[in-house]
Parts: sequence; C-alpha cells; structure tokens
Amino acid sequence: MDRDLLRQSLSYHGQSLFMGDADAPGGTSIVEQFVARKADLLFSPSWKSTSIVQYELQEETSEPYAVMPPLEQFMEVPEQERKDLFYRDVERGDVIIGRITSIREFGFFVALICTGGGLERDVEDLELTALCPIREVPSTRSHDDPLSYYQIGDLIRAGVKDVDRYQEKITISLHLSSLCPSMGKTKLGVISKEDLPLHYSRGASDCCESYEKILESSLGFSNPTNVDVLLVKLGIDETLSPSLMRGLQKKHFLEEDFADNIRKKQSASWALKCVKTGVDHFKAGRHVEAMNEYNKALEIDTNNVEALVARGALYATKGSLVKAIDDFELALETCPSHRNAKKYLCQTLVERGGQLEEEKKLVTAEGLYKKALTLDDSFREAEDALRKLQMHIQKTLKLREQEMAKEQEKAKTVETSAEKLRKILKEEKRMKRKRRRSSSSSSSSSSSDATSSSSSRQKSKKKKHKRRHSSHSHKKRQRRVSSHGYRSDEEDAEESYPAPANTSASFINQKHAVAQLFEDERSQGMSKSSGSFCASSAAEVLEDSRGRFEDDPFECSPCPAEPGKAKDRHGDKCLGSKPLERDVNGRERVAHSDHRKSDTPHMVCKKRVSSTSESSAHRRYSSSSAGSEYSHKSETQSRDIHSQGMSSHRWSDADKKESRDSRRSEGNGHRSCNDYSQKSRRFSEGGQKKELPSNLVDIFSQIAQFEKEKSTKQKK
Amino acid sequence: MELVGRSHEGRGSGDVAKHELSQDIKTHFRVCRFIIETGVKLRMRSMPVATACALYHKFFESADLPAYEPYLVAMAAIYLAGKVEEQHLRARDIINVCHRYFKPGCEPLELDGKFWELRDSVVHCELLILRKLNFQVSFIHPHKYLLHYLLSVRGLLNRHACARTPITETAWALLKDSYHGPVCVRHRPQHLALSVLYLAMNSYGVELPAGEAEWWQVLCEDVTKAEIDAIVSELMELYNMEARCT
Repeated sequence: MDRDLLRQSLSYHGQSLFMGDADAPGGTSIVEQFVARKADLLFSPSWKSTSIVQYELQEETSEPYAVMPPLEQFMEVPEQERKDLFYRDVERGDVIIGRITSIREFGFFVALICTGGGLERDVEDLELTALCPIREVPSTRSHDDPLSYYQIGDLIRAGVKDVDRYQEKITISLHLSSLCPSMGKTKLGVISKEDLPLHYSRGASDCCESYEKILESSLGFSNPTNVDVLLVKLGIDETLSPSLMRGLQKKHFLEEDFADNIRKKQSASWALKCVKTGVDHFKAGRHVEAMNEYNKALEIDTNNVEALVARGALYATKGSLVKAIDDFELALETCPSHRNAKKYLCQTLVERGGQLEEEKKLVTAEGLYKKALTLDDSFREAEDALRKLQMHIQKTLKLREQEMAKEQEKAKTVETSAEKLRKILKEEKRMKRKRRRSSSSSSSSSSSDATSSSSSRQKSKKKKHKRRHSSHSHKKRQRRVSSHGYRSDEEDAEESYPAPANTSASFINQKHAVAQLFEDERSQGMSKSSGSFCASSAAEVLEDSRGRFEDDPFECSPCPAEPGKAKDRHGDKCLGSKPLERDVNGRERVAHSDHRKSDTPHMVCKKRVSSTSESSAHRRYSSSSAGSEYSHKSETQSRDIHSQGMSSHRWSDADKKESRDSRRSEGNGHRSCNDYSQKSRRFSEGGQKKELPSNLVDIFSQIAQFEKEKSTKQKK
Repeated sequence: MELVGRSHEGRGSGDVAKHELSQDIKTHFRVCRFIIETGVKLRMRSMPVATACALYHKFFESADLPAYEPYLVAMAAIYLAGKVEEQHLRARDIINVCHRYFKPGCEPLELDGKFWELRDSVVHCELLILRKLNFQVSFIHPHKYLLHYLLSVRGLLNRHACARTPITETAWALLKDSYHGPVCVRHRPQHLALSVLYLAMNSYGVELPAGEAEWWQVLCEDVTKAEIDAIVSELMELYNMEARCT
C-alpha cells in the first residue's frame, strides 16, 4: 500500500477510520468503512495511473471535449488563496500569457493574464507581473535592439523560466527551449486576441453563467467520442477494467473465456466438420462439392490447417500444382509438424520439379527438389530426381566449361602497361578512321582486309611497346585464331575450362543471357554501345600485339552476349556465354572480322551479329569507342565486381583503354561497356590468370556464335 | 432457455440488518454482475455496458421477475446496447460467452439447431425489451460528466499531488460498479457523477480550496449535500451486497 496516500487519507478522516463500524450514523462513517474495507485496493501502488500527465497544446480549432474555465473562478476563491495556489502550481516550462506593461533596457515587464497549455488558471485580476530579461528575448535578424520589436500593451505568450515562490517573482522567456518538449509547437512571442486560450475567453465573458450551462453549451460536450478522448487524456486504461468489486478484479478473468477465443475454437471445430464432409466428397470423386466444402471451411476459419491440406491435396490431384504447393506451405506455416502436409508437399514438389524439368527450367526444378529433400530427408523419389537433374546439369555445364576453356586458352594476354593502352587507343583511332573510310562490307574478307589495314596501322603504333609481348601474344593469337576458327564452327569446344564458381543456375542463366544478347544485338543494329564494346575489345587486342588483329579475326568474336544488356553479371554467366558466343560467332564471319579490330569481346560478337552489313571500319570505330568506354567501365567494374585473378590485368587493360576512352567514350552505351567489362572480368576470373583481351574477344565471339546457334535452334 | 440456470438460494441468510435484501434484489445484483462480466469478456467499452445495465434495470422497473427470465433479458440487453452505443456485437459471441459463464470450462457450442434456437430467443427478447421501454433506449450516462468534472478538479490541484493520488481511477471504478444496482437509473447523471467523485476524493482525503461555494455545488447547481450522501450510501450498499450475494 502506498504509505503517502494512506497517510493523507488518515489525516483527513481522523481516528474514526480505525474504528470500523462507527456508531455515529452518517456518510462519513460509511465512507470510512468503505475506505477501510477497500483499503488494499484503493491504496495499492498498481492503482495509480501509469501515464505521466503530459501537457499538450490544445488545438483551439477543434474541441474534442468541453474546455471549461478554471473552477476557482466559479468557486470564487479569495484572491490571496488563489495567488498562493498559483505560485504553488506554476512551474518552469509552463506557458503563460500576459500583457506588456513596461519596457526597460534590461527587459520588459508583463502583467500576467492567464496560463496557456496544460495548467489552466486565470490570474488577470491577481495583478501579477513577470519579468522577461533581455537575454530571454530572441534576437531578430537585424542588429537593432530586440526589444524594439515589442510595444506596451502587446499580448505576449511566453514560457516560464523561473519561479521564485517566496519572493513571488516569475521570470519568463521567449525562447522555445524554456518549454517542455511536449509543448514544442507553441508559438512564443506576440499573439493576438484570438490566440487567447479557450478557458480564458470562456471564463472572462461568461462570468455569470454557471458551470453547467457553459458545459452543456460547449461544442466539445456533444462530441460522441469525448469519453474516449478524455479517458486517454486522464490516463485511464479501459482494458484493465478497474473495479472496486472483489469479484471483478482482473485476475479472475481467464483468457479462454473471452469472446474472441471461444469464437476461434468454435470456428475451428465448425470448419473441421466441413472439411470432413469435403473429404467424403473427395473420396467419392465429387471434386466440385469437395472444393466447395473446403472453401466454406476456409471462410469460416481461415488458415485452418486441415482444410488447407485437404484443399492442397485436391489441387494436386487436379493438376494445379502451384496452388497445391501454396496451400501446403500455408498449412505448414501454421502447424509445422503436420505429417500429412509435409508428405503431400514433398510429393507435389517433386512432381512440379518434374514438370519444370520438362520445361527446361532446370534451376527452379533443382530448387524444388532440394526443398523437398529438406522437408523430408528420406524421400526417395526426390533424391533420385535431384540426382538425375544434377547429373544432367553437370553434363551441360561441363560442356560449357570445355568450350570456355578453349576460349580461355586463346585469351592469353599479357598486358599491363600504360603504353599498351596508349597503343590500343591509337589503334582505335585508326580503326575509326578506317571504318569511316571503308565501305560497309558484309563479307569477312573485306572486313578482314580492313582489319589488316587497321591492324597494320595499329601495328606501327604499337611498335615500341608491343614487341616483346606482341610476338608472344602474336603466336598465341595465331594459335588462338586457328583454334578459334575451328571452334567457331563447332558447337562444343573442347578446351578445358575451370569450373565456374556457382552452380548450374548461373550457367543456365548465362546461356539464356547470351542467346538473348545475341538476339538483342541483332535487333539493335549498329548500336553505339556495341561499337563501344568492339572498341574496347579492339583496345584489348591492340594492346597485345600488332599481329593480333591480323591473326585473330575472331578475337572479338567471343563477345559476351550481353553488351548493352544489364543482365546477369555473374562471372559464371560470362563463362557460359563464352562458348556460346564463340559458336555463334563462328557462324557469322563478319563479326569475326570486326572483332579483329574491336577490343572488347562483347562488342565484337554483338557487332557481328547486329551489323553484318555494316562496314568493318564502322564497327571498328564503334568498337574502339566502345573500347574506350569499356576501359572506363571495366576499370570501375572490375574494381566493383570481381577482382580475382585477372582483375589486375583487367585494370591495366582498362588503363590503356581509358586513355582512349577519354577521347571518344561519350556516346557509347554505358551498359554495354559495363557488361562487357564484367564479362571480360568474368572470363578472366573463370579462366586463367592471363589477361589477354584478344583472348576474351575471341572467346566472346565464340560464345556469341554459340548463342546464336542455340537461339536459331530454339527457334526451330 | 434450458441453458440458463436459475439461481436457487436459501431464504434468509441470517441477515438481520435493517435492509432486508429480497430475493429479487439479489437476483438483479447477480444478473448485473453477469452483464458486467460478459461485457469485459466481450471487450465492451464502459458506455455500452452501462447502457446494457440501464436497459436491464429499466426493464425490470415495470416487469416482474417470475414472468421473464432475467438472464435472457440480460443477454438481449447486451445485444441491444451494443447496437445503441455503436459497438456492434455478434449474437454468436454473446451466446458463446454466456454459455461458458454457466458451464465453465466446457467446449464451445456446436453450431447446430439448438444454437439457432438460442439465437432466436435472444432476438425475440430484444424486441420485447424495445417494446417494454417504448423504444426509448438511449440514455445519458454520467461518464462524460464525470470526466469533465475530473478535468476541472484536476486543474485546481497541484499536478504532482494529483498524479500521486489515483482519484481518476477510483472514481471511474466506482462509477462502473454503481451499475450493479438501480441507482444508475434513479438519479440524474450529473448527480451520480458528482457523488462518485465526491466519494473518491473523500477516500483519499483530497481537499480542494474553499471558496464562496463548494466545488461540488459549483459543478452541479441543483445537487444538495443530502443527495450526495444518499447516493454515496447507496453505493456502499452495493459493495455490501457483493459479500452477501456472491
């Protein structure tokens, strides 16, 4: 029991409180009896309101409840007492309203009118004054004396800064900081008559009206929800159902007796009945009626486990496997240990996996099988299906790897010097010029001529830097070219290529991505972006060796199938796309020739695909520009995305390209460059650590070819 | 109706106090307790519960107990009060809670023919109440008066003292408990609110500054001290009854 409260009550009632049944009749004794009997409830600490009374600024426009003038006004409490009360109750942080009486150089004096905000007192007739020192007046922007803003007679709203009860001095402030945080929205300073609080204006005007009359005439009193508002304001919690009756104490109410809990149980049993009849229908073959019963059950009781499982089984039998899976999963969410739900879910997942496999959605199928296995380890069918699928995936993956490895062999670049980059850029320039000059040639021969001419130019450019590398790379290139040439015709390259980091998922995506890219390329025509790719690939090529361009018409061919397409950016995709591209490229010789010039493998393929009829020079140009852009991008990209193995190499490439890029990059497709850089990076990652852009170009072109082939096949 | 059991009590529990509690009063008390308990379980707000009790009391002002089944009237009163005070309750919930009140711990009712019969009887009784009360079913309750009085009184007190003293909760509890008896319909809502507040303040020994007029006189001009005392004693009686009835 709260001792303070008890003490207070005792002092009020006096000794008679202890006497129990007093002889003297009358209300007080009864009250005392009541207090004595209910003392444990009345004085219990938990009885107190838990919410601290927060004074909030009353919105004067809305009146959720009736705002009444202060009671002391009606009671006509004598002045002195009111003064005492006021000084007792006013505190720092209260809002006070007054009228300026005099302005001195150290501040101004205010005659208090009333309080605003939570504490509602009307003190106008008490003739109290407060001082607002100059430091509490916020300074205006001008350098004038801030006090000049105020005049005698202004209505001021201020916050109480300090109260000296003994000397009856109040200091007020116009700074918002003097108020408590909940009153933060109050506007301090000069106010108008309309801003005066309601309790003041009501009290001042209607001093002869009774409390009741004012109450009943207030708008807030007729508000139907004023009870709820006031309960919140006063801090009464209805859910605790306060009562002084012994039988109504909160602890006597059981949770399960509450209406909603009973209803839930009732609905559940009702729904079960419906499910039973539904199952009977189902067994008899009447699927429609069964479905009706299940739906009815779920209307009565949503998320009823039995109903969901039964409906899921019905869906599965009918063939709508997706819906069945949803139902089972929902049922398992509610009740994770439901045996039937698990069993059915596993079966349905495997079935769905089989369906997806036929649709070639191998990844999703694998996911489903794995999920089924996690649910039920001993599910043989799932295991078998999963194993089969994984083998199938691995086979195709291996195939791809081999192709990519083949591509990788070619891509043995050794560039890392800025000079090489410079050379590349120069080459690009040359190529551009050449492209402009030469007429569009769709035949590889013409393009190869162009290439050779460009490459010769490039060669001269790269004299100083490429010697040592060039010969080496040249040879490599030749090797690569030849192999590439073969490869481009084949679908299955037999190069060993390190396994991609991820699972088949990426592989599959790559395939698709590459195919799509190719189609995209074709549709795009001579996109600048592709050009940029070509350029980048060209740059790469250039940097390696002079002979590169000549020797490796297919350098650029393994364009990653996604220039300009911000699709998969995983390394594996790159890998996957390589062989595809290669093959596809093989089909399109034109691309090859372009690739010779272009640096970026991405672009090359694309170029080839998209613009068979375009001039190689043009392509070269685009590829070089792409290359420059690519170098930009690749630099950023490589830094961002992957940095394994080839990354450093890539960066050096990027450096070189960058110088070129600066000259021409602008219009080229960002995405393409990004893609390309990613692809090249991926290539580098997946494959060997040697970084030979030309290799990549090669690989990419091959991939593009492959993709193209694949797409054409699919079209068939 | 077979669901609802009548309370059979022995005559004269040895009470020789001046106030002879008749069976009827006890029954009414028990039924009102039933209404309030059901209100809690149905998560009703204070006002609908008050309306339900008021409806019940008003009904039995003119009706005889043997003629009508009080618990059924109570259920119908709850149902009707929910509609009047805009907290609509479903008959199914009311029947569920009531069924469980009489048979604690049993399974929820099956939604079969018997259930629908019960529901029908509740609905019919509701119509009966309406007719008996001449369709005057909206009441002005003392709740909002009490809350406004509390606000005004709080303004006179020091805020810290007020926070320490739970007169708000006590007054609210007292008001809710007053619905066990017919006091709610026999006095004006302002008077009842005032009496409740007076009792709460008195219990804690809270004193308000004295002025020309007493604070309670100011809040409601036509009330007299005698009336306040009378209401307070009636409230006390209710608490006494609890000991005797339950």
